[in-house]
Amino acid sequence: MKEKYGKTMDGVKRGLRWAWSHKIRVGVLALVLALITPRPVKTQFFDPCCAIMGAGLSSISNALNDVIGGGLGSILSIEQEIFDFERRIVWPEDLIDEAKGLVGSLRGIYSQIESLTQIPVNSATLAITQQLEQNLLSRDSTQIGQTSSYYAAVYGPVPSPTAAPAQVRNVIDMTDAVAQAAMKRAIEIDHLATLELEAADRINRSIQTAAPGSAPIIEAQAAAWLIRANAYTQAATADLMRVRAIDLAGAAAEVKSGATYNSALGQQLIDLLKRQ
Amino acid sequence: MTIAFYLLFSWLMVTAKTRRHVVALTLVGTVGAALIAPRPVMAQLSLTTAIQSVLDIVNGAIQEALDTINAVRGAIRAFYQRLVWPVNLINQARAQVTEMIGQYRQRMRDIFESDVGSATLAATGQLEAVLRNRQTSDFNAVTAHFRNAFGLIPTETAASPEDRAMTDMDDALAMGSLKTLKASDVAVDLTLDAADELEDVASEAAPGSAPFLTAAAVVASIQSQALTQKMLAAELRQEAARVAHENAERKRLATNTGRLGDQILKLLKRD
Repeated sequence: MKEKYGKTMDGVKRGLRWAWSHKIRVGVLALVLALITPRPVKTQFFDPCCAIMGAGLSSISNALNDVIGGGLGSILSIEQEIFDFERRIVWPEDLIDEAKGLVGSLRGIYSQIESLTQIPVNSATLAITQQLEQNLLSRDSTQIGQTSSYYAAVYGPVPSPTAAPAQVRNVIDMTDAVAQAAMKRAIEIDHLATLELEAADRINRSIQTAAPGSAPIIEAQAAAWLIRANAYTQAATADLMRVRAIDLAGAAAEVKSGATYNSALGQQLIDLLKRQ
Repeated sequence: MTIAFYLLFSWLMVTAKTRRHVVALTLVGTVGAALIAPRPVMAQLSLTTAIQSVLDIVNGAIQEALDTINAVRGAIRAFYQRLVWPVNLINQARAQVTEMIGQYRQRMRDIFESDVGSATLAATGQLEAVLRNRQTSDFNAVTAHFRNAFGLIPTETAASPEDRAMTDMDDALAMGSLKTLKASDVAVDLTLDAADELEDVASEAAPGSAPFLTAAAVVASIQSQALTQKMLAAELRQEAARVAHENAERKRLATNTGRLGDQILKLLKRD
């Protein structure tokens, strides 16, 4: 044991002697060791820096809770209130359903009205008048082509040039023209009205499946159809006025031609009496 | 890697033979150590400054943004509730609808349904009654009572074919119009029912359900317009037939007048 201790002490002395004699090398080794040694890591619990960080994070957490959480909470509360208001007051689902239900009920009413317009109202008893009446009540604008011939069969043609003076033939032809045009317009208007009723029912069907946001679009379309319908009504009224205007003009023309005819006849009679 | 480097470097340093070797190793060692030594991490700011800046952002920019959003949403809520859809005005509108229903509906119905019949004779009284009974199932009665009041088409021996055709056409169009008007009377009643239903639902409507009602009302207007057109068409037919009738008489008068003049002249020439 003593011998072993003595050997160790000899080794240490030899090492120290070598180190003493190689001071530069030992210094360089110490320097390099110092350079490459990793830095110590600071503990989580005993370092003052971690305590500062903990306090800081706690402050941030509090700020997030108070400022952001509180702010978002207020916004959420307002949003909830707006949602409740819109759901209960502005767009209540039950009232929207009730409105859609009303559209269904109105469709039922107008379906009855449409069937009323289909009831036959024809009353003529003679063959030629039945032809004209059927044509006039056809609600089919493709049948307008036959109206003039059926009309002439009932009311007669314009007199020939030898049968009546030119002035009278003009009045007759114009009056026939406006009467026939009115009859043709009546067929057109009947046809158009039938199509309008069809379109109205189609629009009603789309209202039943619409949303509050899309209903105004359908309403706009319906308004366009209403404008169109007004235009057709105006056209029919215009034709009615034309018939009455030509009728008035015909009455005036009769007075005029009567005066001229009487005067001419009187003159002829005077001439004849003079000759005799 | 660091340990391996250090062991190798130590061995080389201990076993170096000359001073020049030691100097060279020293240079290589220090440069190597400088290259592989871990770099110390340098913070940009101190920790407290960093935390404070985060807190400043939260309390400053974010709080300001949230306050602004909050204020805007609050303004929108107030705008909706006070200006766009104020509940008191919505209720007021509903109350007005209900009030007007009570004030006008029955009164107008009574006016509209008051009797306007004026015929005094039996035959015309029957016709007038059937014309105004708002039914569409008795069109045959219209024909029968019309003929009672206005007479039948003359027989073939009693009138010329032209006169028979014209009177038949006149009667047909007159009866056609009268039947159309009976149907139209029923349609008017149904249209009034539709208007009543619309108004009833309007009395409890919400801003969100009103567009359905206005759309339905516009469609009902189209349908009413179509019915008006059908009546106008009947009136056009009737007016056209009246003018055509007068014109047919004009044609006959012109022809007959011409013939009469010729005959008078012939007679006078013979004398």
